[in-house]
Amino acid sequence: MADLTGGITVSDAGIRFRRNRRSRRNFKDLFAGRKRRTLASEFWALRNVSFTVKPGEAIGVVGRNGQGKSTLLKLVAGVILADEGTVDVHGGVAPLIEITGGFVDDLTVRDNVYLTAGLHGMKKHEIAARFDEIVAFAEVGDFLDTPYKHLSSGMKVRVAFAVVSRLEEPIILVDEVLAVGDKAFKEKCYRRIEELLAGGRTLFFVSHNEKDLRRFCTRGIYLDKGKLVLDAPIAQVLSKYNNDYGIS
Amino acid sequence: MSNSALERPAWSPAARYRHTLWLLTRRDLRVRYSTSALGYFWSILDPLVMAAIYWFVFTQIFNRSVEGEDPYIVFMLLALLPWTWFNGAISDSTRAFTRGAKLIRSTKIPRTIWVASIVCSKGIEFVASLPVLAIFAIATGAQLHWEAVYFLLALAMQFVLTLGVGLIVAPLVVFFRDLERAVKLVLRFLFYASPIIYGVSAYAKVGQEFHLVAAFNPLSGIFSLYRGAFFPDQLDWFTIAIGAVMSVLFFVLGLYVFKRSERAVLKEI
Repeated sequence: MADLTGGITVSDAGIRFRRNRRSRRNFKDLFAGRKRRTLASEFWALRNVSFTVKPGEAIGVVGRNGQGKSTLLKLVAGVILADEGTVDVHGGVAPLIEITGGFVDDLTVRDNVYLTAGLHGMKKHEIAARFDEIVAFAEVGDFLDTPYKHLSSGMKVRVAFAVVSRLEEPIILVDEVLAVGDKAFKEKCYRRIEELLAGGRTLFFVSHNEKDLRRFCTRGIYLDKGKLVLDAPIAQVLSKYNNDYGIS
Repeated sequence: MSNSALERPAWSPAARYRHTLWLLTRRDLRVRYSTSALGYFWSILDPLVMAAIYWFVFTQIFNRSVEGEDPYIVFMLLALLPWTWFNGAISDSTRAFTRGAKLIRSTKIPRTIWVASIVCSKGIEFVASLPVLAIFAIATGAQLHWEAVYFLLALAMQFVLTLGVGLIVAPLVVFFRDLERAVKLVLRFLFYASPIIYGVSAYAKVGQEFHLVAAFNPLSGIFSLYRGAFFPDQLDWFTIAIGAVMSVLFFVLGLYVFKRSERAVLKEI
């Protein structure tokens, strides 16, 4: 069998959410079967979505707000679970989603780097070997023993990106995180992503920025109302998207 | 539903689980101790103050003197210290998901770890508080018996029970916020309903049916085992056996509740 590491197979995946987060739920619902009828107050954020990603492909996910792009990314990251169908991810994932989430305010930058990389499955000596590189990339050399909470928000993102982008996982997920940070750092992050792509990583990229999508991605997935509308080369997907929503 | 991520070959799933559990447990302990100057002292202060109060009330004011339960301070600490573990772990479990929400939303980690790391860090604090017990035992001249080996059995039973209850409480609180207050109330009730300020033999004195009912509180058996170290008369094997079965049942139920509600919890946070 061919080496599947870095591949993703999504077949007939669906997930539903409650429309009203406040609405009451009872104990019975929790234990009812998954195949149970959808309640009136629920909607399918994604349904009947199927596609296969080959190792090394760069996929851009296109769609308007609230059409399931981030949900799809989270399914691939394994941080939420599909109600129907399957999501098979072959190999580890480096999720650039809410990247500062795992960082602890009261610990130092150094401790945080070890903690976050460790939680993503890196061994201590592996982290130690990459530590200088991570610090240099984040440009926080003088703040290693400063509590994380004392960093500026830009610095926080820089540290987080530096760690997660060094994970050496075969699949990278990017969800608009790069909207933060100054221009120079953003460019640096983009170059890092290009480097990773050149190294044969699989990329899953969610963005509203057409320029970025064209820069990184070869293939596009167009989601609308939780359905996969088009799965084609990125230029074709973008032109259909622009057609549908009247942007020239 | 399978999300079979093949980790880098160096990790087996079990090794990865242990590694992550250890990282998060250590994180909890470090955060607690790096932000307070008194650190370790805080984790033993609570049971110490409680012990001092009960000791004063029962031995100085009410002149409590039950044969085979002296020195009372050692007798009480033997149950009060493990109670602090149980109590702390369960009340923290109510916030297990809200506390780690950002990390849970961004990193794929086996979800049971959020409860397990709380139980572990509180358990480590409990073990670290045992020297206090030793100091009181030496100061009062309490005699250690070979039954102290049951301490290990008690530790294992309490770990299983606490993990089980935590796994039930943690996901349910996500859906029913007021459960957090209910849990506090139940814990306060349990404090008095478990043999902490009194011995397990007290139940038999009230009545046989009471003894039977109390045995279904697994904490009765667990505290009875801990006490065996200094008070072998406190070993009540009937209560311990039922407690062991109950602990395992809670654990199985906990796993079931957790697995069934996991999907919905992840959507909610």
